[in-house]
Amino acid sequence: MRRGLMGWDQEELPKSVLAARLERLQAAMARNGFEALLLYTNLVRPAAVCWLTGFTPYWIESLLLVPASGTPMLATALSKRVADWIRTTAWLDEIVNTPKPGTAIGQRLAGCKRVGVLEFDALPAGLYDDMVAAAPAVELVDASAMFASVRRSIDDAERQLIERADALAVAALDQVDAAATDAGALAGLVEKHARLAGAEEAYIAIAPDLDLDWRLIQVSGPAPLARRFAVRASIAYKGAWVRRTRSFARDPQGARAMAIAEKWLAQVASSIFAGLPLESQITASLMLLRPAENLLRKSWMVEACRGSYPLEVVESSRSPGNDAQVADTCLVLSIELPVDDVPWIGAAPVFVRS
Amino acid sequence: MIDDDRKQRLLAAMAEAGIDMLLVYGNAWQGDYLRYATDFAALEGQALALVRADGHVTLYLDSPLEVDRAEIDCPDIEVVHAPNLIAEVDGALDRFRNQRIGSAPGRLIPRRLAARAKDLNLADQTAFLDRLLMHKLDSEIAAMRRAATLADEGYAVFRQAARVGRADYELIAEIEAFFRAHGVDHNFQIIGVGGPEVRGMAPPSGKTLKRGDLVTTELTPRVDGYYAQICRTLVVGEPNAEQTKAHALWRESMEAGIAVVRDGVTAADIARAENDVFRAHGLGEYTTSEYTRVRGHGLGLFVDTKPHILEDVTTRIDAGMTLIVHPNTYHPVVGYMVLGDSLVVTRDGCEVVTATPRELFSVPV
Repeated sequence: MRRGLMGWDQEELPKSVLAARLERLQAAMARNGFEALLLYTNLVRPAAVCWLTGFTPYWIESLLLVPASGTPMLATALSKRVADWIRTTAWLDEIVNTPKPGTAIGQRLAGCKRVGVLEFDALPAGLYDDMVAAAPAVELVDASAMFASVRRSIDDAERQLIERADALAVAALDQVDAAATDAGALAGLVEKHARLAGAEEAYIAIAPDLDLDWRLIQVSGPAPLARRFAVRASIAYKGAWVRRTRSFARDPQGARAMAIAEKWLAQVASSIFAGLPLESQITASLMLLRPAENLLRKSWMVEACRGSYPLEVVESSRSPGNDAQVADTCLVLSIELPVDDVPWIGAAPVFVRS
Repeated sequence: MIDDDRKQRLLAAMAEAGIDMLLVYGNAWQGDYLRYATDFAALEGQALALVRADGHVTLYLDSPLEVDRAEIDCPDIEVVHAPNLIAEVDGALDRFRNQRIGSAPGRLIPRRLAARAKDLNLADQTAFLDRLLMHKLDSEIAAMRRAATLADEGYAVFRQAARVGRADYELIAEIEAFFRAHGVDHNFQIIGVGGPEVRGMAPPSGKTLKRGDLVTTELTPRVDGYYAQICRTLVVGEPNAEQTKAHALWRESMEAGIAVVRDGVTAADIARAENDVFRAHGLGEYTTSEYTRVRGHGLGLFVDTKPHILEDVTTRIDAGMTLIVHPNTYHPVVGYMVLGDSLVVTRDGCEVVTATPRELFSVPV
């Protein structure tokens, strides 16, 4: 449940930007013959509604109806008393507070013939049942591909929010001392720093002993940190999410290798271009860094926001894509590989250059 | 081990109810059904689990980050990375066509899977799992007590952090750091800062504390999966006469509610006892949904589990349930005020497990 700073600052996210996004989406809806589009939101799947309105629910679920023209309507199970709070966080002219958001949306759709639904398969059964009971004649069609095509490129406002989230993540990770010995206290320190700086959400994960296990876990309570460990900060700022992962070592060999890898990651993150598949670009970059072993033992993953998830895996070393990268998109690149036999994990946001 | 206790109980209940397999959904918002069945606490993405009558559990996760965590946190179950979660579980369900499959929570099961109810002999068994979630085992109650202790300690951190000029989100940052260092992996918390203009609590909005503000919070740490909650109000500076008077009413109401809790009463009985105090003081209007959501609720693997304490909820309260009684609502003069304690229902009454004094706290200016 969200418990960090939430609020709409029109300097950061002007209404005109939201209106432009709505216009692009409605144009795509018209091309696809949708009389309306439904976007589901809860705190795990907030991204689509947040992109269009700024709203992220801290609790419970809501459904946004985007009409063919005009502004969206939010039907939410959050109580009427919370409507004023919602308006402080988002551009929403119409909010219907109801224990049955599906029914409210269904009643509004009753005259429609064809309506798109983002991630239709995943729509919760309760909402769906209520909706079709109120609008049995409406044809509901999955609109995920259409939404992703509109959503993929980021505008300047979104880029600035992502950069702000990234700055919070970097500053929080700067608090980490490689000499730290308690993983729980360290997780608390990093999270506190991010939240004090205005993070809406902060998930901190730690791999407490990189020599033994590369996997990052949530840590709470006292837990030992080995001489080499990694910390991942997944940070949200006003609905924009990034991940940053850094590895730390107390031994000189480890610290040296990790510094090389960090520098390399920064270089890669700033040099992903449109027009080429990602895998070939990552592989080419790896040639700069101890090529032979890394090409065999590397593992990478790329996340992006395309639908309701803030970040979802779009490519990885297990299933690389062949599509050329598109300019003005934002990705999060996570990579793990040994550098001079030192285990290293890193992650950073990437803005794809034209 | 709590998860072993739960699993034995779940399998016995499934056998008794004639359920061959359970399909359970969970995410970071509503994760209690999933946690009961798998012991996994979802954080990112969505999860579905299949629990077979022979005890085999398969947990499907769409996030590879969550797969890493689940493999470490839940070594006794099968963890499957399912990037196309719903399609993969849909395919897996085909293998169980001739079995009686229950699902929970029914309203959150993805539509594509729920649509196969007839085809798969899939029945909503939310109520079946709700009974297990509400009636706690001794090991579950022990975890809730640990959470209650940390709720008290967390509120002390909150009071320490509250001072003029600090932003509401900074108070929460201090608590979260304390909780991560002390074994709390999650906390539900909302906050209100101000006076009569404040009609409820919400996530922090960046308000800074000033003299005379009421600062309300509902703080809910999770320990070993179980939440305990505490609701308290503090005043920045010395409380005025109206604030003190209002708080006395809230305390009278909460204590009236707690006094009727015992095995065999209903949720409505508790709510009525709380609300009667407001009515006796001419403030009955403020016990309605216009001003307040519930007068308490169940606690456990979910922050806001059944039963809701409301005058129209007739759920029987049994020994072994864990609740919070909180007459949180709006006061027309001083604004939104909260007070609530967590408790365990016993045969003859209840045991309150939060220990922070029931006072209107004041922080020096």
